[in-house]
Amino acid sequence: MDIRGFLRHELAGVSRPGRYLGIEVNARRKPMSDAGVNCVLVYPDAYEIGMSHLGLFILYEEINEREDAMADRAYLPWVDMQERMVARGIPLFGLESRAPLRDFDLVGITLQHELTYANVARALDLARVPLLATERDDACSLVVGGGPGACNPEPLAGLFDLLVIGEGEEVVHELLDAVKEWKAAGKRGRAAFLRACASIQGIYVPSLYRVRYRADGRLESIEPERGAPLPVRKRRVEDLDAWRYPRRPPVPLVESVHDRCSLEIFRGCTRGCRFCQAGMIYRPVRERGEELLKRWGRELVENTGCDELTLASLNSADYGRISSLVDDLAREMESRRVAVSLPSLRTDTFSVELASRLRRVKRTGLTLAPETASERLRRAVNKGVSDEDLLQAVSSAYREGWRKLKLYFMVGFPGEEEEDVEAICGLVRRIMREGNDGSPAKGLQISVSVSTFVPKPHTPLQWAGQMPLPEVARRHFILKEGLRMRGVTLRWHAREMSRLEGVLSRGDRRLLPVVLEAARHGCLDGWSEFFSWERWERALDAAGLEAAWYAERERDGDEVLPWDHIHAGVDKAFLWEEYERAKRGEETQDCRFGACAGCGACPEKTGRRGLGEEAG
Amino acid sequence: MARLMVKYEKCGDAAMLSHRECMRALERALRRSRLPIEFTAGFNPRPRMSFSPALPLGVAAEAEYLEVSVAGGVDEGEAVEALNRALPEGLRVREVRLLAPNMPKLSRWARYGLYRLEREEGGFHLLLKVSGEGQARLKDALEEAARRLGWVPALERVVRVGLYASPEEVFEDVRGEVYHYDVEKGELRVLEE
Repeated sequence: MDIRGFLRHELAGVSRPGRYLGIEVNARRKPMSDAGVNCVLVYPDAYEIGMSHLGLFILYEEINEREDAMADRAYLPWVDMQERMVARGIPLFGLESRAPLRDFDLVGITLQHELTYANVARALDLARVPLLATERDDACSLVVGGGPGACNPEPLAGLFDLLVIGEGEEVVHELLDAVKEWKAAGKRGRAAFLRACASIQGIYVPSLYRVRYRADGRLESIEPERGAPLPVRKRRVEDLDAWRYPRRPPVPLVESVHDRCSLEIFRGCTRGCRFCQAGMIYRPVRERGEELLKRWGRELVENTGCDELTLASLNSADYGRISSLVDDLAREMESRRVAVSLPSLRTDTFSVELASRLRRVKRTGLTLAPETASERLRRAVNKGVSDEDLLQAVSSAYREGWRKLKLYFMVGFPGEEEEDVEAICGLVRRIMREGNDGSPAKGLQISVSVSTFVPKPHTPLQWAGQMPLPEVARRHFILKEGLRMRGVTLRWHAREMSRLEGVLSRGDRRLLPVVLEAARHGCLDGWSEFFSWERWERALDAAGLEAAWYAERERDGDEVLPWDHIHAGVDKAFLWEEYERAKRGEETQDCRFGACAGCGACPEKTGRRGLGEEAG
Repeated sequence: MARLMVKYEKCGDAAMLSHRECMRALERALRRSRLPIEFTAGFNPRPRMSFSPALPLGVAAEAEYLEVSVAGGVDEGEAVEALNRALPEGLRVREVRLLAPNMPKLSRWARYGLYRLEREEGGFHLLLKVSGEGQARLKDALEEAARRLGWVPALERVVRVGLYASPEEVFEDVRGEVYHYDVEKGELRVLEE
């Protein structure tokens, strides 16, 4: 049975068949060609998640704009669809072309999150592409990884022929040029081709690095072979305005997690929260021009018909000319009944007032992320807000008429005591009592959302240990007891999921068999209905590895880390200095307002273009 | 304020979109078309629109309807083109018409659905009530038809061809055998012209 026949017969029987049609408005549906480079971009999670991912659409746009290349898309089919595909011998296919993945020259996979790592293996398995890079011959698709997970891709390194470290806009073209040439010459000599790719800045070819381990399990060394670069330096684009942006993205047919169009207003963040990987690896801050953004916002809305336009970034209120951008866009969009929204807000009055100006079209909730309620921990993780900032922000939100508030907290920070967690309950109680300018905030509903700290590579806390599960459970219990009050609801991220993230985020190459074994027995770990920590524990046992060794162990300063050969933009020496300051409880100022902290992200440029005063 | 009737077909791959997904696609197309559509008041404004009764997933349709309120004049021909530029393949607007104020609302008249059941040696038509009292499910009607006639096609060969206010109107559009499924009597009988 061919793929089209399969779809004709089976689609009516699967859940949400709209996920597999590929007929979205704005889908390019560019034909594959013998002369050009045929690519398929894979987001290894369900369609509803993958269709909200901006990075994939940025590459989709860059590739499809070329005359000598095309890009299709694929997502991980839902479990019922996977079963039917396996039963009928149907391989994973590109949604638009309905061609098997293995017919493409290049299969590009986003590594966004550790909970999708089993999905990556499952997707390749469904595609019937040989799983290991070493098993692939010249005729096989090139399997390419990218995204934030590529900063430590080691647990999956064996699956990839190469990975792109950093931002893809520019380097994707260099890679496509190389593939095109290799294809024209008959795709002979895969190993030599990969060696040549390794000389492109930002491209990491795992097979060119040999990792040695010590008897105690720690790494001995990571050595490049045959002139491969050490370290592999990430790519970043200097001027965002010079690159295309997906202003005509495919519009999801099935309701997706973020059902809105997304306008990225700047990249990078210099606030310097020590647990935040995005805040480190996307440095320095680069803003897009205000006029360009207004035009693109208009185009996005006209091209998609979405009813919400979100101004995306790591901290949108930090955009230099945020006030006039927000006011002008909101005014224009109001007549179209399109809401403008900000995804992430700083915990201060300025941000709340900004959000209030956006409420004319659609009334949404307000989300603030104080992360912790302990002044000591805030200094340690460099989250520069105080209880008073938060209280003032809440007061101003209450005054502006907000009655629903979402607060994000994190537990499990290094050095965190139980009283630091109890402080969260105290703070929430205080908000309820004094949130209305010192008087009780009647009718206020607070939803407290709690995640668990996961040490991430390329952050100052990359050496820290993750809190053991029973201790996290005790913290959840403290919160559950302490937040039993009218108007407050508590939700926490499953601790075993955070545990798995903790194992994989700082993992090494020995974890590959574990991921493959876990993927044989399940996938879609980000979905609570499919996640099973026992499945992962069994896979770890079978490989003779311990979760605690990876997740809980504090690393020494001189330990070779599995990602030491990858330079994600900030220097290791800076990260170590920040780690020391964290232990001493010392803050580091945002370099846009204070002194340069010497992170190494911008040796040649300041990256301060377009920054105004009002963001302070 | 005027009402606009949009008649569209849902065929090919688009038959695999749920009613809700189909409504979303049409809403987005309306927003993109820049027609002077009216929105609901309140904190989450939506176009003032209503749809013909839901079509089971997997069933194609040749004549579905939506009504939307508009503020001013509309060029009907241009509206068809603007909407079709903004719709996914398989959803295609066939006609846009400004309704006279005295025309009944969609929900008042779109009560009966007529389905064509196809096969090479000639199929037949099946009529059932799709909204209001005595509403029947297509699945039940097909089961009954299979029992009584010994044959029904797979779902992908069932097409909703039209919506009607009363059974009699059906014969303005079709000839040949039309079976009427009456859910209350649980019976299938040939409809007399």
